[in-house]
Amino acid sequence: MIEIKNITKYYGKGESRFKALDDVSMNIKDGEFLVILGASGSGKSTFLNVISGLETLDDGEVIYNEEHLEKMNEKELTKFRRDNVAFIFQQYYLLPHLNVEKNVKMGADLGDKDYLKYIEAVGLHDKRKKHPSELSGGEQQRVAIARALSKKPRVLFLDEPTGALDEKTGRSVLDYIIKLQEKEKFTMIMVTHNANIAETADRTIKMNSGKIVDIYDNLNKKSAYEIGW
Amino acid sequence: MIVSLKDGFKLIGISIMACCAVCVCNMFLNFQIDLRSVANQVEAGPAQALYDAFVSTSIVCCACCGGCMLITSVVMLFFYIKHYIDSHSREIGILKAHGYSNFRISRGFAIFAISILVGCLAGYLLSFAIMPLFYEKQNDNNLLPHIPMNIHWYMIVLLIIVPTVVFAFIAIGYSVIKLNQPTINLLKGITKQKDKYTDGKDKKNFVSEMRSSVLKSRKTLVFFMILSSFCFSSMIQMSASMDELASDMMGIMILIIGIVLAFTTFYIALTTVIHANQKNIAMMRVFGYSAMECKRSVLDCYRIPAYIGFAIGTAYQFGLLKVMVTVVFADVEGVPDYHFDWPMFFITLVAFIVIYEGAMFIYGYLMKKIPLKQIMDE
Ligand SMILES: Nc1ncnc2c1ncn2[C@@H]1O[C@H](COP(=O)(O)OP(=O)(O)OP(=O)(O)O)[C@@H](O)[C@H]1O
Ligand SMILES: [Mg+2]
Repeated sequence: MIEIKNITKYYGKGESRFKALDDVSMNIKDGEFLVILGASGSGKSTFLNVISGLETLDDGEVIYNEEHLEKMNEKELTKFRRDNVAFIFQQYYLLPHLNVEKNVKMGADLGDKDYLKYIEAVGLHDKRKKHPSELSGGEQQRVAIARALSKKPRVLFLDEPTGALDEKTGRSVLDYIIKLQEKEKFTMIMVTHNANIAETADRTIKMNSGKIVDIYDNLNKKSAYEIGW
Repeated sequence: MIVSLKDGFKLIGISIMACCAVCVCNMFLNFQIDLRSVANQVEAGPAQALYDAFVSTSIVCCACCGGCMLITSVVMLFFYIKHYIDSHSREIGILKAHGYSNFRISRGFAIFAISILVGCLAGYLLSFAIMPLFYEKQNDNNLLPHIPMNIHWYMIVLLIIVPTVVFAFIAIGYSVIKLNQPTINLLKGITKQKDKYTDGKDKKNFVSEMRSSVLKSRKTLVFFMILSSFCFSSMIQMSASMDELASDMMGIMILIIGIVLAFTTFYIALTTVIHANQKNIAMMRVFGYSAMECKRSVLDCYRIPAYIGFAIGTAYQFGLLKVMVTVVFADVEGVPDYHFDWPMFFITLVAFIVIYEGAMFIYGYLMKKIPLKQIMDE
C-alpha cells in the first residue's frame, strides 16, 4: 500500500514561489490501477514525481509498506527505485545514442532479461536496431513503454503513455499494458488527458490547482477496446 | 546570440594552456632580445660559446613549449566547438530553420577567443613576475656581462593580440564547417555516429553497452586521455633525468609544463564526458542504477587508454633520452650513460594510480549528487 499524507510541493523561491501540490492525501492499494485526470498545469506530473521519489517534497509523508520515502537519502532512494518502480514519462527520455534494443535493455537488466518479447509486444520488432532519432514520436513512446515494462516493477508510473499514439496503436498498447498489469498484479498509476481511459481503471482522481478535487471508484471496468477514444 | 560570454570563459583549459605557453615564450624571447643587445660586450672564448648556446636554446625552448601547447589548445578549441554544437544542436537547428545562415551563427563562436585573450594576458603578466629570477639564474656564473631587463611592447601584439585574433578566426572557420549539415539533423539531434548492430541477442549487459557506446561517441576524449597520461608519465620521469643531463631550470620547466598539460587535459576529458552524458546518467539513476554503476558506464572506458598513455610516455622519454645521450652528446665528455630509472618509474606510476583512481572515485561520488528532475527537464 502507498500512503500519501498531506504532501505539499513548492516550485521556485521568494516572490515567484508556486504551490504545485497543496496538502494532498490518499491511499493507493497494492495492485490497483489508478487514473489521474486534470487540466494542464494542475499538478499531475508533479504528483507522480513526488510519490515516486523523483522529486523531494516540502511537507508531508509518502509511505510504501511502512518505508518512508521522505526520510530516505539519495542512495536509499536509488535502491528503492531499483527494486520497486518504473516510469513512462511524458517526454520519453530515451538515451539518444543507443538503439531501441539497448534502450529497452536499460530496464530489462534490472528485471526480466528476456527483453525481446516486450519489444515485440509494442510492435517494434522490425525497428529494434533503429536509434530514437530515427523513430516517430509514437514509436519512441512505445520504446519507453517496453523499457518500463521489462523492468517488472511493483509500481508503474505512466505520464500520458498514449498521448502521442493514434487510436489504433493507442488501444493496442493500452490493452497490452492493462492485461500485463492484471496478470502481474503490479500497482499502476497513470496520468492522462483522455477521460475515456478512466473507464478501464479501478479508481480515478481529478486534480485542480494542486489539489485532489474528486475521487471515485469504477465499478464497471471496461477493456481498452470497449471505451471511446 | 547563442554563444554567450559566459560560455567563452568556460574554456578554462585553453586559458591555462595559453597562459603557460605565453609565459614561457615571453620569458625566453625577452631574454633572447635583451641578450642580443649585449652581444658586442661578450668576450671571445667560453663566454661566446655560452652566448651562442643561450640564443639557440631560447629559440628551441620557445618553439617546443609554444608549439606543443599551441597545437593542444587548437585541438581543444575544436573539441569544445564540436561539443558545444552537439549539445546545443536543437537551438542551432531552430535558428537555422528560421533562416539564419551558418556564418551568422558561427560569428558568435568568435567569443571563444576570449579564453585565449585571458590566458595570454595572464601568462604575459606572470612572465614578468618570474623574469628577474630567470635572468639571474641564467647568468649565475657571471660569464656574461650584466643583462638588463627590458619590456618589449611589441611582444603584446605578437603574444596576445595575434593569438586572440587567429583563434577567433579559427573558431569561426571550424564552426562554419561543423554547422554545414542538414537542419533537420540538427533539430532531431541526429549524429553521424551509429553503433554497429550485431545480429541475434548479444549477451553484454546494459552497463557495458553504455560503456562501449560512450567510448565510440567521443573519440577525441580518448586522445585527450592518452595525451594526459602521456604528458604525466613522460614529463615527470624526464624532468628527473634532466637534472643530470641538462640544467635544473630545464628540468623544472619540463615538470611544470608536463603537469599543467596533464591536468588540464585530464580535467577537460572528464568534465566533458560527464556533461555530455548528464541526461543519460540522470535517466539511469531514475531507473535505480547506483552512482557507481553510472560511473562504470561513462568513465571506465577511459581507464585502458589512460594506462596505455602512461606506458607510451614512459617508453618515449626513455627513448628520447637514450638517443640524446648516445647520439647528441656522443663526443661530449663527462656525460654519464643513461639507464632506465626504475625508482623514478615506480614513484611516477604510484602517483599516477593514486591520482587517476582518486579522481574517478570523486567523480563517482559526484554522480550521486546529480539533481535528477532538473537535469531531465533541461
Ligand atoms: N520545475 C518547475 N519549476 C517551476 N514550476 C514548475 C516546475 N515544474 C512544474 N511547474 C509548475 O507546476 C504546475 C504543475 O505542473 P505539472 O507539470 O505537474 O502539470 P501537469 O498537470 O502535469 O500538466 P500537463 O497536463 O500539461 O502535463 C504548473 O503550473 C507548472 O508551471
Ligand atoms: Mg504533465
